[in-house]
Amino acid sequence: MSIRAELKYKIMKDYGAPAVMAFQDFKRRKPRPVPEAFGPPLETNKRLKEILSRHYFLSRYVPGVKKVAWVTSGAPVELLRAFDFYTIYPENHSALVGAKKQGADYCGIAERSGFSQDLCSYARIDLGHMLSGKTPAGKLPKPDLLFCSNNICQTVLYWYKAIAHELNIPLIHFDAPFVTTEQTEADINYMAQQLQDMIPILERVSGRVFYQNIFEDILKRSMETSKTWGAILDAMKAQPAPMTIFDAFGHLAPIVSLRGLPVAQDYYHILMEEVDARVSMGIGAISDERYRLIWDNIAIWYKVRFLATFFAERKMNFVTATYTNAWAETTGYLDVKDPWISMAKTYGQIILNNNLKHRLDLMKKMIKTYSVDGMVMHSTRSCKPYSVGQFDLRKAITADLDLPAVILDADIADERVWSEQQIHTRLEAFCETLEGSKFG
Amino acid sequence: MMIPDRSEYLKGLAQTGQKIMGVLPALYPRELLWAFDIHAAEIWDPPGEILHANAHLQTTICPIVKKSLEFILKDPDIINAGYLFPHTCDSLQNLGTQVKDLIGVSLPVYTFYNPKGSFNNTTIKYYRDILQNFQLTLETIYRPLDPEKLLTACELSHKIDSHLLAIHQARMTNHLSLSNEEYFKLMRAQEYLLPADYLNLLEQVDILDQPGESLKTRLMVSGILPPTSKILEFLDELGVSIVADDLLAGSRRIPKFSMDAPSSPIDYLTDRFFVLPPCSTRGGDLDERMHHISTRMKDSRAQGMLFDMVKFCEPELFDHRLLVKTLREKSIPVLTLETELEHHISGQDKTRIEAFTELLFDMVST
Repeated sequence: MSIRAELKYKIMKDYGAPAVMAFQDFKRRKPRPVPEAFGPPLETNKRLKEILSRHYFLSRYVPGVKKVAWVTSGAPVELLRAFDFYTIYPENHSALVGAKKQGADYCGIAERSGFSQDLCSYARIDLGHMLSGKTPAGKLPKPDLLFCSNNICQTVLYWYKAIAHELNIPLIHFDAPFVTTEQTEADINYMAQQLQDMIPILERVSGRVFYQNIFEDILKRSMETSKTWGAILDAMKAQPAPMTIFDAFGHLAPIVSLRGLPVAQDYYHILMEEVDARVSMGIGAISDERYRLIWDNIAIWYKVRFLATFFAERKMNFVTATYTNAWAETTGYLDVKDPWISMAKTYGQIILNNNLKHRLDLMKKMIKTYSVDGMVMHSTRSCKPYSVGQFDLRKAITADLDLPAVILDADIADERVWSEQQIHTRLEAFCETLEGSKFG
Repeated sequence: MMIPDRSEYLKGLAQTGQKIMGVLPALYPRELLWAFDIHAAEIWDPPGEILHANAHLQTTICPIVKKSLEFILKDPDIINAGYLFPHTCDSLQNLGTQVKDLIGVSLPVYTFYNPKGSFNNTTIKYYRDILQNFQLTLETIYRPLDPEKLLTACELSHKIDSHLLAIHQARMTNHLSLSNEEYFKLMRAQEYLLPADYLNLLEQVDILDQPGESLKTRLMVSGILPPTSKILEFLDELGVSIVADDLLAGSRRIPKFSMDAPSSPIDYLTDRFFVLPPCSTRGGDLDERMHHISTRMKDSRAQGMLFDMVKFCEPELFDHRLLVKTLREKSIPVLTLETELEHHISGQDKTRIEAFTELLFDMVST
């Protein structure tokens, strides 16, 4: 660790970051007008922007101070936190690129270098970033370590292998056997052992010693943060719901990428307070909520605003989503007294690593508890584990619950896939059916 | 050498009352099935148009998955003991649960997890555990496992592997006088023949004492499945011989080297899994895979590489870029074709293959 780098990091952390955040805040002083269809925006949005900008800003000054790890969204990051890695989430970064409608540009860089257009767009954007250094976040530090788990998809393993090879850095892979009926003892022990096997590698890469008590504190914090996130999502059962799921897509970022850190824990307490206050005052995320919807799959990042407005104008609010729920669903398994086994259960059973019967039951439960009137499924070509099976899930749900549903064929971050005409037609037809079914 | 037709052969077997399980790609402990007198009929690219599967799967799903589902939806008589979905990729993973939990079939659906990534003692222990769990699953449906039967199955498997290794070696060194089409027909017969019948077939293969004609252009092929028979025929016409492969349905399922004869079946099956060549679907190290391919190319004196990529196959597509880049850096000509498992060869592909082989011819003559 270089003293100069550490000093620079400290200055940036204590003075540079606050100054930059204040400047950004000044630039944003003129708030964008809120369309009539929406309720008042969440105050916490400002805090969200601050902590994410700060995280990306400080990452520039981290090399030489902390080791940097690139991590997948479903990986058990608590273990890395015990070694004080500075974590960057390429999926989160790709979503950011997608939201800025720059996905095609980054994907193009990867494609021109030989990666197929048929590959996941998060991966292509990240590879495009890696090959060009381009990023809307200013600059991202090169990783010292890659950490992935196939509990969200096998794709991340192939993708991270490609990065590991290109940058010649170590890759730690947490193999999470797919849950076809239920986790077996062998599955759980296998995952628990893998986590313990990682310790000497992490000690070597980070140059730090593993302390069980530090790890347990992080685990506790992570557990508490996930529970708060779950409670925030639960608050959306209120009618009107205090947030839309499009808000939640944004507020999801800290639980994904800062999980286990005090900043995420504090952040969700603030958000919880605001959401609770809105519920008690009857403030809705949209001004006149008449229909409540469920969203399935990852967001269409480059069309979040369009979709939020389209539905809000029709008095339709997304009150729940399988995607946002993923970081709260299995938290209950975490147990500080039995960290390895409990992490195996928590990380091994998340929605994308679980069978479709589990997903069907979960969706039906969400539809009932959130008083949902209709379902929108995003069939994304980037994510096979999320998309393969959706046609039959839709069939089962509409048959059992008599729920209007529509499938949108699009992509998470590559805007070239969006077909305006086709999606518009489908959405209009869905809205007509929904209106007819509820008040028809 | 007469290779029975897949469909006729399986129909005949089913009529004898043989238990037949439909097995999807790619890696599974076939020996355990054999020990329970279950025949594994592998489903990779069944013929016929994709019609009903389109109602269950998106357009961007690979044709192997779609064709497999189309086959399952037909509820074919030849499959009577259920379906096995080994864990190969995200799409097959989800297809397994989709068929079992959402579509529903009249036969039992089994799954088998293949560990992913770099392997160590923890992985080896886990693989043993899942083998034993799979054995217990079969025991609850059929009968307690007869250890002798499993040992016999492993011995049979060992003999098949030994023959296949010898045949691969013979192919690489020009000691095999089979056309491309005949060669891959022989390789793929293991997907549906009873092991004893397949061994019998392998025993009939004539390995030449002296190397045969060496003027042919020599090619290695990489991908999931061998090129379609039309492409193989066309390569035969052009005088191109496929001398080595890096195919999931080919050499990636045969141990890298000859193993000791089995004594303890579970140990043997575990060892066998971990000495298979590197494969994209197992998520192994890219350098190791590249090294393996380079060695095969060198040993077989292949002059070029044909990548026959199944459309939308993520595991292969991710590795493909680096493999191509590395081969090109070594001045090895590379041709990439994309297949949706059509039974014809497009004019465009024909032209590209011709141009590629001309390039290889020129290299040979200079």
